[in-house]
Amino acid sequence: METTSVDVLVVGGGATGAAAAYDLARRGVRVLLVDQNDLTTGTSGRYHGLLHSGGRYVITDFDTAVECITENMILRRIAPFAIEDTGGLFVATSQDPDDFPARWAAACARAGIAAEALTPEQARALEPALTRDITAVYRVPDASCDSFDLNHGFITAARTYGGDAWIYQRVTGFLTDGDAVVGAELEDTRTGERRRVHAACVLNATGPWAGVVAGLVGLDVKIRLDRGSMVAMNIRWVNTIVNRLRPPSDGDILVPVGTVCVLGTTSIRTEDPADTHVDVSEVSTLLREADVVVPGIRHGRALRAWAGVRPLYEPPAELAQLESGHNVSRRFAVIDHTERDGLRGLVTVVGGKLTTCRLMAEQAVDVVCRQLGVAARCTTADEPLPVPETSPRHYHQLTHRVHRLEHGEMPGALICECEVVTRPQLEARIAAYGDQPVALDDLRRDLRLGMGPCQAGFCGYRAAGILHAAKGLSPGEATRALSAFVGERFRGVRPLLYGHQLRQFYLDELIYRRTLGLDALLALDQPQPEGVSDAGSEA
Amino acid sequence: MPAAKPERHSAASHPATGTDIIVIGAGLAGLMAAVFAVEAGARVRLIAQGWGQQLVTPGWISVCDRAEDDVIAEVRGYAALHPEHPYGRAGDDAMVGGLERFRAATEAVGLSYELRRKDGHNMRLMTLLGGIQRVMLAPRGLAAGDLTDVRGPILLVGFAGWRDFFADLAAANLRRQGVDARALAIQLPDPDRYWDLWPGDLARQFDSALFRETVARQVAPHARDVERVGFPAVLGMDDHPRALDDLGGLIGRPVFEIPTLPESVPGVRLSNRLRRWLLRHGARVQIGHPVVRGVVEGRRCVGVEVQSLGHSTLFRADHVILATGGLYGGGIETDESGRVWEPLFGLPVMAPETESRAEWYYDDLLVERGHPIHRQAGLRVNTRLQPLDAAGEPVLDNVYAIGQMLAGFNPLTDGCAEGIALATAYKAVQTALELDE
Ligand SMILES: Cc1cc2nc3c(=O)[nH]c(=O)nc-3n(C[C@H](O)[C@H](O)[C@H](O)COP(=O)(O)OP(=O)(O)OC[C@H]3O[C@@H](n4cnc5c(N)ncnc54)[C@H](O)[C@@H]3O)c2cc1C
Ligand SMILES: Cc1cc2nc3c(=O)[nH]c(=O)nc-3n(C[C@H](O)[C@H](O)[C@H](O)COP(=O)(O)OP(=O)(O)OC[C@H]3O[C@@H](n4cnc5c(N)ncnc54)[C@H](O)[C@@H]3O)c2cc1C
Repeated sequence: METTSVDVLVVGGGATGAAAAYDLARRGVRVLLVDQNDLTTGTSGRYHGLLHSGGRYVITDFDTAVECITENMILRRIAPFAIEDTGGLFVATSQDPDDFPARWAAACARAGIAAEALTPEQARALEPALTRDITAVYRVPDASCDSFDLNHGFITAARTYGGDAWIYQRVTGFLTDGDAVVGAELEDTRTGERRRVHAACVLNATGPWAGVVAGLVGLDVKIRLDRGSMVAMNIRWVNTIVNRLRPPSDGDILVPVGTVCVLGTTSIRTEDPADTHVDVSEVSTLLREADVVVPGIRHGRALRAWAGVRPLYEPPAELAQLESGHNVSRRFAVIDHTERDGLRGLVTVVGGKLTTCRLMAEQAVDVVCRQLGVAARCTTADEPLPVPETSPRHYHQLTHRVHRLEHGEMPGALICECEVVTRPQLEARIAAYGDQPVALDDLRRDLRLGMGPCQAGFCGYRAAGILHAAKGLSPGEATRALSAFVGERFRGVRPLLYGHQLRQFYLDELIYRRTLGLDALLALDQPQPEGVSDAGSEA
Repeated sequence: MPAAKPERHSAASHPATGTDIIVIGAGLAGLMAAVFAVEAGARVRLIAQGWGQQLVTPGWISVCDRAEDDVIAEVRGYAALHPEHPYGRAGDDAMVGGLERFRAATEAVGLSYELRRKDGHNMRLMTLLGGIQRVMLAPRGLAAGDLTDVRGPILLVGFAGWRDFFADLAAANLRRQGVDARALAIQLPDPDRYWDLWPGDLARQFDSALFRETVARQVAPHARDVERVGFPAVLGMDDHPRALDDLGGLIGRPVFEIPTLPESVPGVRLSNRLRRWLLRHGARVQIGHPVVRGVVEGRRCVGVEVQSLGHSTLFRADHVILATGGLYGGGIETDESGRVWEPLFGLPVMAPETESRAEWYYDDLLVERGHPIHRQAGLRVNTRLQPLDAAGEPVLDNVYAIGQMLAGFNPLTDGCAEGIALATAYKAVQTALELDE
């Protein structure tokens, strides 16, 4: 069995793990990060996209609010390439408790969140789609943040400091020596190949899986799993983040992300860290609530729905009393298992927000470094991350792509018309995987293939044809690759199949069934298990 | 654009000039209803918001794809057992009559649709991905690809760099099914210009003899020992019959077409020619104008209101054929709350018997039995194709529903939607004009 040695193994390639890998590498520690899927496919790839000003938590969770505004300012400085400075509004309507805005504004002042009171007219001048029924409105420094780009930034930076990251490697067990963890066993989730990594310390940054992973060495880490759903509308209904100014509840926020506008979220208790089911009733709630602040939006075209699972950490006693996940603290915990469980070499970091990932990483890495006897201090807030030039998503803004396409800077056939992805781009991405297997869904995450209105109705076949040629796949493999992609796209629109999107998927389904005959071809052979190909991530 | 002059009157003031029949919808069902009615001597006005699904379908005519042998016999048997099915409602004569008249009409516009020569069985036509579909009737170019009696090897020709046909993949999938298929990629002149090349763009190129020669020169050397040569269905737009024969001649082998992703060139050819035929035969054709509502007095529809250029115009007619295409065409609408409705007349729609729209679809897209919403959302009709209310009584005396407006079949899985469009178009005209009495 292949064996590797590092100082620290970080488990989990979400925002927390990626920030930790960067932090460790900067402190001169030899670090390897692993994830069971591609990077940013856990909660970090399924989140709402909001770099919080802290306004949302200022009443229910003051400390988190303070952390958010501090980290918000830091991330703007160090990762501007991942952030669109949309600003945010908090809007109260006559439906909302009328004593709330004043209390809220006072708390913002205490937390250091610049909340500027606007008149309803000023707010509507800024965002004409807003309701006429505004009783109070404030402007705050919220922003829209692309977690894929941010994570790419952290990982690229970690690599420049000598760190590394491996994807599709699942930790299936820990290596122990007496009362110490000394590494982990990995399984390649695509090939089944196993390997070992020896490490002086392991950082468990697996978000909603943190309890499962700690359980691999018999530790009991209690996490409350709280599923939240989001719906992407096909245009940017607003250019500013719009929050309801009321006690946190379902469907409070609209976030402009790229070309779309994402409505969210809900809060439903779940037991499964991989539970990404979206209920039709959640879609109704999100549309109804968004319609209060942006009238008419519920009749707009909804493109896609997805859910993520919040890893909320709270001491067990408190967990039981709280009913809705919205009120559980977003604060995070760094658990040194030496103190708690008498096991050295393992640290767990869990909870928090994407907005506070750098801070969580800093505090977790402080504990790790104490165990390792490394004295170096955290410097991740000091300097901007290198812009990840190689990031294939660097040109993800649709307008840029269209501009380049129309000016002959992106030669080759247009494969995905909705998101403007060309054949040479696809071929280059496929080549970048070397001999690793590539799923069409990987190319989607890399290039946004199939993420627009038609949801792969057209580009699915084209991309499968290109993949078939580039990877020398068998016809069965290529056909199954298409089917897996199409199935995954369907799952994300299924809760939205009414009106326009129903008609869209009627066309897509007919293309797959009739024009291509995909169903009959699949029946030709027993489908092979596709590994973890349906690991979803959205934005 | 159509030569039709819309009469600009408000619905309330001046009644517009009447016609015998208004057909709403320019899908296969609506177009053919208009053709059949014109052939029967009626004054016809065809009004549609846009063209129908034939612009995106493979272009063949599915009558009963699952039939193992005689297709007509299979449909007859099925209809006898299922009188509530659209085939049952339309009746055998309409099914046979619709198919025959469709073949005659397409022949008349210079596009022949062919059956399998001898036995009335389904053909076996290949798809872009190398799948094999069974269908009864297809335009000549597609029908030439029938794999039923293929003996020698076939050659599939793609265009290097073109996004819409991967001949290698198609050939490989065909070989898995026992068809000896090979692939060839030929160069298009000046490929860099073609980053956004649609099937229709290529088809117009194939109208040029010079272009065909360029293609044939590259293909002929590889075609010597094959039985036939397949191309994506882009062999000519306006001049398709000549393009097909000419290319076959130049290559020295029979040439066939494989349906592409949308746009469907076979569908565009058919639509263009049928529209010209209708105009030449005195029909009014208005495509691009939505009907906003049917105007009803008592149990009769007196006409329809059409929106154009900010005006709403009333067109009167003795009969209205509703061919608005169901869930896809716009004839049946749905919303987030799970409501399912017919927007023009408010006709009673048979909606899925589910608690919430969560049950409209199963979890797996390609589930064999198809999703409930597609089979169920539609209009129930009697044997005169009049929409029925919950009690089974006709709602309006002079409105007939056809094609995909009808409930009781799944156009995505049942492989009979096009046969139903033809049968019901034929039946509606017969009923309206009392030709069947
Ligand atoms: C609906 C929703 C909306 C949200 N919106 C916002 C927002 O707008 N702003 C904000 O700041 N925060 C938001 N959050 C919170 C934020 O997304 C999370 O706090 C954050 O993404 C957690 O990141 P993480 O790295 O800790 O976990 P994750 O991103 O889940 O990363 C954990 C990783 O560990 C990997 N892993 C698990 N088990 C193993 C194993 N055995 N071996 C190897 N790898 C493993 C997983 O594949 C995964 O990639 C939202 C959360 C939800 C659910
Ligand atoms: C990609 C694809 C592949 C297919 N493959 C097959 C197959 O292999 N076998 C099979 O049996 N079936 C297949 N079908 C389905 C089949 O083609 C259709 O069921 C059939 O063409 C239906 O035709 P239609 O005329 O009833 O409706 P449509 O073609 O949908 O026409 C509806 C018409 O009504 C018009 N309209 C709607 N509302 C209004 C309004 N308010 N005012 C004015 N006009 C209006 C529309 O503009 C349109 O012209 C396929 C469909 C697609 C999309």
